[in-house]
Amino acid sequence: MSKLSTSADRSLRAARQARAALTRASRRAIMTAAVALGATLLAGSASAAAPAVGQPAPDFVAVDTKGQQHKLSDFAGKYVVLEWTNPGCPFVQKHYNSGNMPATQKSATAKGVVWLSINSTERASGDFMQPVALDNWFKERQAAPTATLMDPDGAIGQAYGARTTPHMFIIDPKGVLVYAGGIDSIASARQEDIKSATNYVNQALAEAFGGKPISAATTRAYGCSIKYKAA
Amino acid sequence: MPSSFIRRALAASFLLVAAAAELPAAAQLSAQASPVVTTPRVRAELMAYAPDGVAPGAQVWVGLQLQHQPQWHTYWKNAGDSGLPTELSWTLPAGVTAGEIAWPTPHKIPVGTLANYGYENTVLLPVPLTVSPEFKPAASLTGGSASVDVRLKATWLVCRQECIPEEGSFTLKLPVQGTTALNRPAFDAAFDAAPAPLSRPGQIQVEGQQLKLRVEGLPASAQGRPLEFLPETGEVVHNAAVSGKDWQQAWEGGTWTATYPLAEQRSASPDAMPVVLALAEPKAGDKPLAWRVEAPVSGNWPATAAPAARAEVSPALQAALKENAATAPATTPFAASSLAMALLGALLGGLLLNLMPCVFPVLAIKVLGFARQSGDHGGHRRAALAYTAGVMISLLALAGAMLALRAAGAQLGWGFQLQSPAVVAGLAALFTLIGLNLAGVFEFGRVAPASLCGAQSARPLVNDFLSGVLAVVIASPCTAPFMGASLGFAITLPAGQAMLLFAALGFGLALPYLLAGFIPAVARLLPRPGRWMQTLQRLLAFPMFATVAWLVWVLGQQSGIDGAGALLALLVCLSALVWSFTLRGRARVVIASVLLVCTAVLAAGIGPNIVQGTPPAAAAVAGAQDRWQPWSTQRVAELNAQGRPVFVDFTAAWCVTCQYNKKTTLADAEVLAQFQSRNVALMRADWTRRDQAITAAITALGRSGVPVYVLHVPGKAPVVFSEILRKEELSSALAALSP
Repeated sequence: MSKLSTSADRSLRAARQARAALTRASRRAIMTAAVALGATLLAGSASAAAPAVGQPAPDFVAVDTKGQQHKLSDFAGKYVVLEWTNPGCPFVQKHYNSGNMPATQKSATAKGVVWLSINSTERASGDFMQPVALDNWFKERQAAPTATLMDPDGAIGQAYGARTTPHMFIIDPKGVLVYAGGIDSIASARQEDIKSATNYVNQALAEAFGGKPISAATTRAYGCSIKYKAA
Repeated sequence: MPSSFIRRALAASFLLVAAAAELPAAAQLSAQASPVVTTPRVRAELMAYAPDGVAPGAQVWVGLQLQHQPQWHTYWKNAGDSGLPTELSWTLPAGVTAGEIAWPTPHKIPVGTLANYGYENTVLLPVPLTVSPEFKPAASLTGGSASVDVRLKATWLVCRQECIPEEGSFTLKLPVQGTTALNRPAFDAAFDAAPAPLSRPGQIQVEGQQLKLRVEGLPASAQGRPLEFLPETGEVVHNAAVSGKDWQQAWEGGTWTATYPLAEQRSASPDAMPVVLALAEPKAGDKPLAWRVEAPVSGNWPATAAPAARAEVSPALQAALKENAATAPATTPFAASSLAMALLGALLGGLLLNLMPCVFPVLAIKVLGFARQSGDHGGHRRAALAYTAGVMISLLALAGAMLALRAAGAQLGWGFQLQSPAVVAGLAALFTLIGLNLAGVFEFGRVAPASLCGAQSARPLVNDFLSGVLAVVIASPCTAPFMGASLGFAITLPAGQAMLLFAALGFGLALPYLLAGFIPAVARLLPRPGRWMQTLQRLLAFPMFATVAWLVWVLGQQSGIDGAGALLALLVCLSALVWSFTLRGRARVVIASVLLVCTAVLAAGIGPNIVQGTPPAAAAVAGAQDRWQPWSTQRVAELNAQGRPVFVDFTAAWCVTCQYNKKTTLADAEVLAQFQSRNVALMRADWTRRDQAITAAITALGRSGVPVYVLHVPGKAPVVFSEILRKEELSSALAALSP
């Protein structure tokens, strides 16, 4: 069967090459399609107001830095933390370079919380980072989100009324927004202030898991403006 | 190398430039007493205004002036949606205290859907100093006049698109006696820019998600003109609201009223709000430009955290919740049990695939191979592993490619290989060759050049691997029971879990051979080699030719009778060509070259028919069996709208299960009578060739291959039947319909 084998070998190789090319081409297509899909899902709610605490959190679909799709409603049954981020922002740098945000992420995910870091920086902004670069930036700082989502069109950010980086949201297992606001209580770009500040996300999750109502459910989000794409 | 030289030269010149740039900064650092700090974005200067010197009761002002580079801004006391107010922290001699910043009226700086309050160009933030009687001016050591050391540490956030936190330390000496009025114009401008206080308090009422404002006592010069609303309290209102669009204002004589929306995520619920109202369109000579009014808040702030019970969960999320609750008891991540079931199903499906008519011949060849090398256990094991690897790797590759294609939006389904006539023709040729080989027309050893013959013995593993690959290629169209469900399930899964499922399927397919290779007991069940082997080999040629017949029929469905005819002609040529190679001497050269030319001419002449031939119109099928109409989604909807149930048979010529069902259950007289009595419209969707609409419809039903049988009853969810359509199953579903 050797003649058969060689021809099969050859066709196998050709098939492999074709598949590789297909994967390369499709990765981009998947990305675009999924982002478009996410935007479509949101089209209905985009015009509507951002949710207040106590209201249902808008569902969304987004692609993470690894090209994987995530849908908020897939996480129903779990607490979900949304963290708006942008490594170019000094307030984000404050919480990552100090290790505060990674530590908050680790303690949350250890409780089974889903943590989605979202970057709504538009492509045209100087702060925009390609998925790989963004991932590396977080990796260097030992960040531990469940996924880092790309939202360059700002669809998710606008749906949640996210204003700053960082801006934190917590969604309960029923899909209701239970926290919106800052990462902590001292609005500054200084790392030294973290020690004396109250970490609102830790506090809210501790209260939620302890069966208590969240005492500070809406707080001041402080930081840089999100570099949204012009409407 | 020149490039490295250039690089070094560049580096050297860069160092020089950097050193030069460093100089002023270093000078600034050493001169701690400087009242000026310059950054690339702002020039900040500590200024003072003490016209009557520093003495108890005297008017003493200090302040930080920020000169912004174009487009950069710093923030007001309420920075708005982002940003931070500038902070000043003073170090003053005993007896001197600093007051609050007398903030000049800011501008509203819109940033898309957000808005900030801040300053561009030049702003001075004045601070009054209070000098108490305890203040004792320090005697000057040098014997000059006494002075007051004013030290300031300031932090400010300066933003354009990006934001930079900056800070500076400033020192200024104020003469205790004498006038400090150099910067008087700057202070005067700051005082002019500050809002004028209104004596009468305003009124703010909370009404739902809006604030109703009412302010009286504004001067006549402002009346009738539009005002900008600048709240000193942050986190209350929707900062980016645009006057006339998102909020409304009106004048009733000397009373200004407005309705302003609250922020959706409001974190402050103050009892009183100081607000600044500024002329939205100031004119030269307007003075003041803004007013500050304190307003107590009446009415009830809407709850920031509504009770969860009141929240309406979107229907999609509700469905997802319900589904999660049904599959997982608590917060188990993914329904592990259903995944395990799917894996088991895939394994069983893979096992069953061995019995499918299009796979069994491959297994048969393999079994023949074992019989041939009976006794070589190590060889069996290696062969079994190679075959398993071949099956699993090619199945995973196929699945990976399919997942990628599907995700990329190509509307492909399982079995898509056989939807391409070229692939069908290629497989027919391959099976013809295998059949001829089994029938003894030629031996592979003789066909291959001598150099490859040597390689053959060293490469049995490659052969085993490739026969595993072959098994998968042929198995894919035979969407056996379990497999469809598993695939439908897999498509909704993340890639990792889907691949796992396909791996299980492949393992099932390879399992019988793997067992035979590893457990001698299983292998021993195989007959001993003997004369029967040749008989068996000849016998196995016929399943091969049967497969060819089936493939030609599939191609006939796709490319018509001309295509099938062309394929048959080419297969005959191919067979003759292969036979000619077994000849020796001159005859071989002559006959082989004649046949080669014939084959080439024929392939060029009628070959395209195979690929391009027109597919037989679906109407022809429908015409022959007028009971079945060609399927379309609109037609289903139309008939359903008329109140008629519709039964759809998603089928393909290359799908053996489909053909079996078609000839048995769907041809059953009782079933047909039942269809008729219930007035069920029968439709057939033929997926022999690629069809986007059909692929979409199958996907919508949670399947990825044919057969799919579905009953659409008006006003009810479609009922999908199992892939091997049992008469009882169909009958009971039909019986449930009202006649």
